[in-house]
Amino acid sequence: MFRTTLFVYLALLVSFAHAEPLAPADVKTLLGRIRDKRAASPQMQADFQEEKTMKMMNKPISSSGKVWFQSPNKFRRELKGNAPSTTVSNGQQLWIHYPKFQSAEKYTLGKRGPLDAGIAAITASLNLQDVEQTYNITASREGAGHVLQLTPKAASMKKMLQQFTIRLDEGLQVQRTEMLQPNGDRIVTTYSNESREAIPASQFEFTPPAGTNVTTPLGG
Amino acid sequence: MPLHSTVSRLVTQRRGAVWLAVAAMFAVSLLILITRMKLDTEVLNLLPNGFESVEGLKLYNRDFAQVRELTFALVCKPEDVDKLEDFAPEFAESLRQQPWATRVLAGSPLETPEGVRDLQAIAVPLLLNLEPTAFAETISVLQPDKLRERLRRLREEIEAGSPRPQIELQLDPLGVVAPALKPFAGNAAVEEGQPLTSPDRTMRVFLVVTNQPTTGAFDAQKLMEDVNAFRAKARETWDGGPLEVLVTGRSAYVSEISLSMRHDIVVTIFGSVFLVGGVFYAGFRRWLPLLGMGFSLLLCCVVSLAAGLLIFGELNMVTVGFCAILIGLGVDFAILVFGRYQQARDDGLDHAGGVDEAIRNLGRPVFFGALTTAVGFLALLLSNSPGFTQLGVLVAIGIFLAGLFTLSIFFLFIPAKSRPLHGDWMFAGVKSYVRWAVRNPGRMLAVSTPILLLLALIAVLPKPPLIFDASTKSMEPKSSDAGYALHTIMGKMPMRWEPAIGIVRASHPQQLHDYWQQVAAHWATLQESGKIKSFSTPAALALSPNRARANREALARIDLAASRTALEEAVAAEGFSPETFSSGFTLLDELGRAAQPNAELPDWRTQLPTTSSWWFLVDRYFAHDPLLTTGFVTTNAPIDHAQKEMLTREMAVTGVPMTLSGWSFTLADLIPWSHRQLIVISAFMAVFEIGLLALLYRDWRLWLIHIATLALAVTAMIATMKLMQIPLNLLNVLAFRLVLAVGVDYGIYVILVWQKARQLEHDVAGVIKPVILAGLTAVAGFGALGLANNPTLGGLGIACAIGIFWSLAATVFFALPAAAAAEPKIWREETT
Repeated sequence: MFRTTLFVYLALLVSFAHAEPLAPADVKTLLGRIRDKRAASPQMQADFQEEKTMKMMNKPISSSGKVWFQSPNKFRRELKGNAPSTTVSNGQQLWIHYPKFQSAEKYTLGKRGPLDAGIAAITASLNLQDVEQTYNITASREGAGHVLQLTPKAASMKKMLQQFTIRLDEGLQVQRTEMLQPNGDRIVTTYSNESREAIPASQFEFTPPAGTNVTTPLGG
Repeated sequence: MPLHSTVSRLVTQRRGAVWLAVAAMFAVSLLILITRMKLDTEVLNLLPNGFESVEGLKLYNRDFAQVRELTFALVCKPEDVDKLEDFAPEFAESLRQQPWATRVLAGSPLETPEGVRDLQAIAVPLLLNLEPTAFAETISVLQPDKLRERLRRLREEIEAGSPRPQIELQLDPLGVVAPALKPFAGNAAVEEGQPLTSPDRTMRVFLVVTNQPTTGAFDAQKLMEDVNAFRAKARETWDGGPLEVLVTGRSAYVSEISLSMRHDIVVTIFGSVFLVGGVFYAGFRRWLPLLGMGFSLLLCCVVSLAAGLLIFGELNMVTVGFCAILIGLGVDFAILVFGRYQQARDDGLDHAGGVDEAIRNLGRPVFFGALTTAVGFLALLLSNSPGFTQLGVLVAIGIFLAGLFTLSIFFLFIPAKSRPLHGDWMFAGVKSYVRWAVRNPGRMLAVSTPILLLLALIAVLPKPPLIFDASTKSMEPKSSDAGYALHTIMGKMPMRWEPAIGIVRASHPQQLHDYWQQVAAHWATLQESGKIKSFSTPAALALSPNRARANREALARIDLAASRTALEEAVAAEGFSPETFSSGFTLLDELGRAAQPNAELPDWRTQLPTTSSWWFLVDRYFAHDPLLTTGFVTTNAPIDHAQKEMLTREMAVTGVPMTLSGWSFTLADLIPWSHRQLIVISAFMAVFEIGLLALLYRDWRLWLIHIATLALAVTAMIATMKLMQIPLNLLNVLAFRLVLAVGVDYGIYVILVWQKARQLEHDVAGVIKPVILAGLTAVAGFGALGLANNPTLGGLGIACAIGIFWSLAATVFFALPAAAAAEPKIWREETT
């Protein structure tokens, strides 16, 4: 019993020692630094590993792949493994291609639907520009890096996202994100090998290969 | 003894008996009004009978639940859109808590767990209603291999990050609900075009079905009192800028219209009395005759309303304008009669002699005046509109009573001893004008004729056009909150307009199903060919007993136990949680029951909770009687007459009895009726009056002058409406015949007197002054209707006021000099 209490105490101590909440003015300064850095190099690419804990699944689902991002809202995600897929968004449309099934889903963005809220949550971690307009933000210093806690302001976002946690390294690169949804689902993504090299525009366009069955699950 | 002598003896020598008779008449009429008063506030009763579209609209308003539906809208400033998004669920919840709210729709039912659950509850009957081939294809997904394959794929899609599997599994774990809804979704195009949030996000719309006990005016008022109290409090927790809480719907309109009836009655009666009294006093400077005139006309109104109640059983809202019209018209008689009486007294006759002289001289013109006016109003019977029929009959009764009472009861208020009228500037002015016009008719005509001809030219030329407004807005009350709410909602939503509706009644469910299958197939071809924009029918919900039977037989051949086992294994193998598929297992159980040939299928109406948002969709299509249904067609442009003709031609399906209707459709349908009112019935009136005048004058020159006067007055009225951009609507076209009926009287008084006159000052100048006064009071009386909130009444009043003004002007400035030119008479100065 004593050991357990001691362990909890030490854990808390360590935790407090590492997490120093930032004052609102410091949060603003931090976001300004992030904005300047992103403005200098508005694109990024990185490898990622993802773990989804979902209410409808008994076990978490793990996957890995590579992501490309161009500020403010273009991105591409390629998933490796048993069920490979490619997700591409040019800001107006979102494609999800399943080569194994020779099928693709096409979604139109900008309708202020739940999909837009979900995409906004994904791109927020990679973009972090003007996030304070969409989210209430708190931040803390952890070691050499920072942790941002984002909670959405708009009701449409709240339906999709309860809390978004972003861990940044000392160079303000995203290391890890954790998305908590209102139904309890949780997605943890860890980024590595981040690069800020230029990305060709074609990377954010998608044309389904011949023979692909295209569907529009939420309508055109 | 001549009749005029008998009447004059009664009112001068048997005053007590006459007063007793008046009191008895008044008491009986009041008793009838108090005990039998019933007001008909149904605006549709102003539209003519005999039109299928009108009958369809009445049916739709009476039998479909939308009658009890209110539409709320929250409208905020652009900077508050996020706050509105947060506030909307709170507002919806407050609405649900209201004792008058039965159910509330605040968004797509599919976005709520309750909406999804309700839909799953009615999946089996919808599934069994699929066309047998589609049913077989759908049900094939329950084969064990296909179930396993589907779940594997769903898991892989989840891994890929697709949002689709989550949405699909939430609504349809087995994969059979979505195909069952396919016919339904395909038909819901109209609803998809009506989102509950405006594109700029500054407006949120909420639909509420209320528990208003009846659709009557008093229940609507009571409901709206509660609703308005709720609206006043609804903003309490809003922390943004200005927020409008709007509400519209039938109850909102009915409440406003019925409350505005009270306003209209008070404003138009007091307006008429004030204006008419003012003109009378300015002309005669006597109070007692004014009181007598007011009393006589009040008695006319009370007796006529009582008679109207006895005849019709209830009074339509448009008849509230009756009193103002009657005062405007009846005052003519009183002014003429008193003018003649005063003239006789000034000539030295005593009270009884003056009364006798007035009745003897004016009995015939008043009779003919009352006859032409009564016939003019009785012509409203030809309008076929219940409301206007009542108005016509009431005014016809009232105008006869007005003639009768002003030639009898009116004299009870005139004192036997009266001083002569000194310094009558009006009479002096009129006399000067008459003297000049009679001596120089050519010069007067040289001024008046070109003006009237110019106006006639403007009337017949195509430009500027006479505006004809057949829109639904032309029927709305002025400054209506419900109207403002409706137009704000329509303005903020994507371009849309009211659809045409097709009402279908069947004698049994299979017939209803077959009818809608045919209609849906036909309308789909219309949509493909671009003739209509979209359509929506209850085809998916019109269940077919024959299909259900055939599909149940097919279902019985499926091994549902094997499906269940395969599903359990696949759920475990793919790592899904069993809760995700609980509704799927329930559905399998229900399908198992439906597969048993003797099991009774539950009625989907009883499966759907009364609070379910899906009822908003169901009630849109189904009346209280489930065999009475409606479908909707949205056109490519707002429905005008050409669109209406096309829809009449194209929407109909051979072998399916269908009533086409809708507000815009009906108003477009009524345009020919309205034109017929304007042209044919006015022409009929003109022919009647032309014959009557020929009989009266027996002098073709005077007859021709009168006809020309009437024609110039009507064309001047049209020109004025063109120049002042006063629109005609479906109902104020009736003003033309009223103007003809009233305007002809002025001509009769002047021309008939000219024809018989021996002393011009007495006979002509003596009648012109009362005619001018009568004309001005009629203009004032009708003009007072312009104060009414009811646009029908207001429009009718303004149009009549313009027409009567021109009738008066044409009589005084054209008919008189023309008669003087045609049959010259010598002016002799008797009194100067």
